[in-house]
Amino acid sequence: MKNRKKRRPGSAAALISAVMLFFFLAFLLLAIKEMSLQCFMMALVVPGIIFVGSAGIPKLFPADRLLLSLTNFLCALGVLVLYRLSPERGLAQAVNYGVGVVCMILCTLLVRYLSDWKLPAALMLLGSVLLLALPLLMRAEERNGARNWVYIGSYSFQPSEIVKLALLLCIAYLLSNRKVIVSIAFAGVCLLCLMLQKDLGTALLYYAVTLVMLYAATGSHLLIGAGLAGGAGAAVMGYQMFAHVKKRVAIWLNPWADVEGDGYQLVQGLIAMVNGGAWGVGLGLGNASVIPYYYNDFIFAVVVHEFGWIFGLIVLAMYAFIVIRGVMIARRARTAFHALLAVGCAALIALQTFVIIGGNIKLIPLTGVTLPFISYGGTSLVSSLCIIGLLQGVASRNEADVSEDRELAMQGGDLK
Amino acid sequence: MKKLRRNIRALTFFLCGLFVLLAAYGAYSLSTSGGRWFASSANTYARARRQGVIAGDILDKNGVVLATTRDGERVYAGDEAVRRAVAHAVGMPSGNVSNGVETFMASYLYGFNMSFLERLSCAVKGEPRQGDAVQLTLDSAISRYAASRFPAGKAGAVVVMNYKTGEVLALQSFPNFDPMNITAQVRNDPQTPFLNRATQSLKAPGSTFKIVTAAAALENFPDAETRAYQCTGQLQVGDRVITDAGTDLAAGQITRHGQLTLRRAFQVSCNNTFAQIALNLTDPTLRRTAENMGFNDNFLFRDLVVENSSYPTQNRTDREIAWTGAGQSALTATPMHMCLIASAVANDGVMMEPALLQRATAQNGKTRYVFSPRVYRRAMKAETAATLKEYMRSVVTSGTGTQAAVAGANVCGKTGSAEIDTQENTNAWFVGFLDEADAPYALAIVVEDAGGGGSVAAPIARDIFNWLLENDR
Ligand SMILES: [Zn+2]
Repeated sequence: MKNRKKRRPGSAAALISAVMLFFFLAFLLLAIKEMSLQCFMMALVVPGIIFVGSAGIPKLFPADRLLLSLTNFLCALGVLVLYRLSPERGLAQAVNYGVGVVCMILCTLLVRYLSDWKLPAALMLLGSVLLLALPLLMRAEERNGARNWVYIGSYSFQPSEIVKLALLLCIAYLLSNRKVIVSIAFAGVCLLCLMLQKDLGTALLYYAVTLVMLYAATGSHLLIGAGLAGGAGAAVMGYQMFAHVKKRVAIWLNPWADVEGDGYQLVQGLIAMVNGGAWGVGLGLGNASVIPYYYNDFIFAVVVHEFGWIFGLIVLAMYAFIVIRGVMIARRARTAFHALLAVGCAALIALQTFVIIGGNIKLIPLTGVTLPFISYGGTSLVSSLCIIGLLQGVASRNEADVSEDRELAMQGGDLK
Repeated sequence: MKKLRRNIRALTFFLCGLFVLLAAYGAYSLSTSGGRWFASSANTYARARRQGVIAGDILDKNGVVLATTRDGERVYAGDEAVRRAVAHAVGMPSGNVSNGVETFMASYLYGFNMSFLERLSCAVKGEPRQGDAVQLTLDSAISRYAASRFPAGKAGAVVVMNYKTGEVLALQSFPNFDPMNITAQVRNDPQTPFLNRATQSLKAPGSTFKIVTAAAALENFPDAETRAYQCTGQLQVGDRVITDAGTDLAAGQITRHGQLTLRRAFQVSCNNTFAQIALNLTDPTLRRTAENMGFNDNFLFRDLVVENSSYPTQNRTDREIAWTGAGQSALTATPMHMCLIASAVANDGVMMEPALLQRATAQNGKTRYVFSPRVYRRAMKAETAATLKEYMRSVVTSGTGTQAAVAGANVCGKTGSAEIDTQENTNAWFVGFLDEADAPYALAIVVEDAGGGGSVAAPIARDIFNWLLENDR
C-alpha cells in the first residue's frame, strides 16, 4: 500500500483565504469606484460562496481542496469580470454560482453514495435523447445560427449542457461494462441531434470526449483511428452543408478581410487582448464590451484585456491544474466506472477550454461553446460545477477506500 | 484496471498538450502579429487613449524631423517636397494611409510601452506624458530626389533599400500628397493618393518575374546555361499564342529571337523562351522556387505591412503556366516584394527583412529599440544568385536595361513591361541593384500605364543609382 503524504490543511486554508481576499478587495475597489451599495454587497457575498464552495465542502466529506480552490477562483473571476462590464449579468452569474455550488455538492454525494448505476444509467440514456430532441421539436428560434435552447415561459436553458453530464455518466457506465457498441451508438445519436440543432461546437465536444473515453477504456488504436476518420468525414460534410460553418472558417482564415463586418468579433477580441499588454489595462478601465458576445464567447479576451496576458497564462495554468488533478483522481480510482467518469470529466473541461480559447486566439475556428466556470450562462456554469462535483465524488470515494484499506491493514487484514 | 490506468496516463499527455499548444500559439501570435493588431484602425481603445499623450517625433536616418507635435498639433517636415516624398511611409494619425508609421508605430509614438513607474513619474511631476521619438531608416534626401525624378502625373512606386541590412531608404507611392494640406481634391482623386502602392498594390510583376523563372531553371536543370532554346516569335500553347514584346499580329509584325541561351533570353526578355522554361519546369517546381522567394507567404515583417504576393494555385492550364514563366497570368506582387527579390540576388541569395525603424528613444533618453539586421529567408542558392547577378548585369550592359547604366558602376537589373487589361499602356518596371561593396543598394520602380520598363523606368533607376553613388557611398 502506498503511504500517501498527509495533506497539510494549513496551506489550503491560506490559499482559500487569499482567493477570498482577492475578490473581496476587487469588488470593494469597484464599489468605491462606482459608489454602489450593491457592489459592496457582492464584495461580501462572493467570498462567502467561495468559502462554502472550497472550505465548507471538505468538512462534509473528503475532497480535493486544490481542485475546489481553483474552481472557485475561476467562477468568482467570471462573476467579477461580468459584474464590472454589466452588473445585471454579474448579479445573475453570482446567483448561478451559488446554485452551481449546491448542485456540485449534490453531484458529489450522488457519486459518493450511489453504487449501482444500472437503472440511473438507463434512465439517463433515455432522458438525454429526449432532452436533446426537445429544441428540435419545439421549433425554437435560431440563435447565432444554432437552435439549441429550450424556452419554458420566460425561462430558458440549453439541454446540451445538462446532457453533457448524462453523457459522461452513461458512457463511463457502458464502457466499464464493456458495452462499446452501445456507447458509440448513444454518442452517435446525441451527435446527430446536436448536428440537427446546428450546435456544432457542442457536437465537437461530445465527439472528442467520447473518443477520449473510448481510448481510455479500450486503448484500441484501430477504434480511435476509425473515430478520427469518421470525425474528419463529418467535419467535411458539416463544412459543405452549413453556410455558417463555411463563414466561420473563412473568418478564422482571415478575420481582417472584413474588419467591420463578419470579422468584427474576432478582430476586436484580438485587439482587446493585445491592448491588455502584459499587465492589463486594469480592472474596470477597459472597453472590452465592444466585442459582440464578450460575456460568453469572448470572456477570455476580456480577462486578458483587463488583467494582461501574464494573468491569462495563469488562468490557463489553472485549467491545466484542474485537468491534471482530474486525471490523477482517475488514476487512483478503484473501479473502471469511476476511473472512466473522472477521466471523462477532466477531458471535457480540457477540451471545452481548448475549443473556446483556441477560437479566441485564432488557433482554430470559433465555435459557440462557453469557457467553463467563467463564461456567462446559468446552465453552463451549473453544469461545469457539476462536472467538478462528479470529480469530487470520485475523489472522495478514493479517499474513503484508502482509509478503509488503512483500517483493514491496522486490523491486520490482508490487502489484495 | 492496469491497462486502463496506462491509457489514462497516455491521455494526460494529450490533454496537457492542448494547454501547451494554446500557450505556445498565443505567445507566438502575440509576438509576431500583436503589433499589427494594436496598430489596426479598428483599435478604438488605443485611439481613445492617445488623448493626453504628446505624440513623439519621427526623424529620418540623419535626424531630419519628419513629424513633430507643436502646441498639440501634428506638424510635418518644413520642406513640402520632403513631406510629399515620405508621406506614405510616415502616414497620418487619422489612418487615411494604412499602416504608416504614425499608426503602425503608435505603440512607441504614444508611449504605450511606458512602464508603470514612468507613468507614475509623469503623474507625480505633473508633466504631460510624451511618447517615444522614432528614428526611421528612411533618407529624406534620397526620397526627395527620387520623387523629383518620377514622371509627373503618373501613378507608381519607388522602393530603395540597403540589401545587406534590409534598411529601407525610400518607400514612395505616386501620386503623393501633402499631409499639411489635405484638400477635397486630394480626397476624391480617382488615382487614390492615399494608397501606398509600394506595399499595398498587388500587380503582375511582368518580366521582372523572369528572375524567379531563371532561378528555377538554374536550380533544376543541370544544363540550364548551355541548353539552346528556339524563339519563333509565336509559341502555340493550347488555343493561344505567346508572343514577344513588339509583336503586332494584325499588322503582320512579329518579334523573333531565333536560337538563344537562357542568358541571352534573360537579356532580351524573351517571353517565348521563358514560357517554354515554365512548361519544362512544370508548375510545382516553378511554384516552389517562387515560394522560396516569398510568394504565397504571409509577410509578417516587424516594421512594415506588405500585402502578400501570390503565385496562383488554381486553374493552372498550360497557357496560364506558360504566361506565369513570363510574369503575367494571375501572378501578383508588390514593388516592395520585387525589390526584396532583387536584394536577394545582390546579397548572395539571402533575403533580408525590410526594416523601417532605426531606433526608438523614450522621453527620458532611454533607448527602447535599436535596429539590428534580420534575415527574412534564404531565397536561392549562392551560386544561383551569382549567376543571376551576371545575367542582370548583362541586361544593363547589353540588354533591355541599358538606360539604367551608370558609367564606372556595376549596375544590375531587370526590366518589365506588365500588361494590365484595363490600361492602354503597360506598367513600366525596373528592379535592380548596385553591385558595389560600399553602395549596397537595391531598388524597384513601377510607373503605371506608362510604357516599357527599359525606356520609362530604367532611366529613373539610373538617376537614383547615380545620386546614391555620389551622395551615399
Ligand atoms: Zn523571343
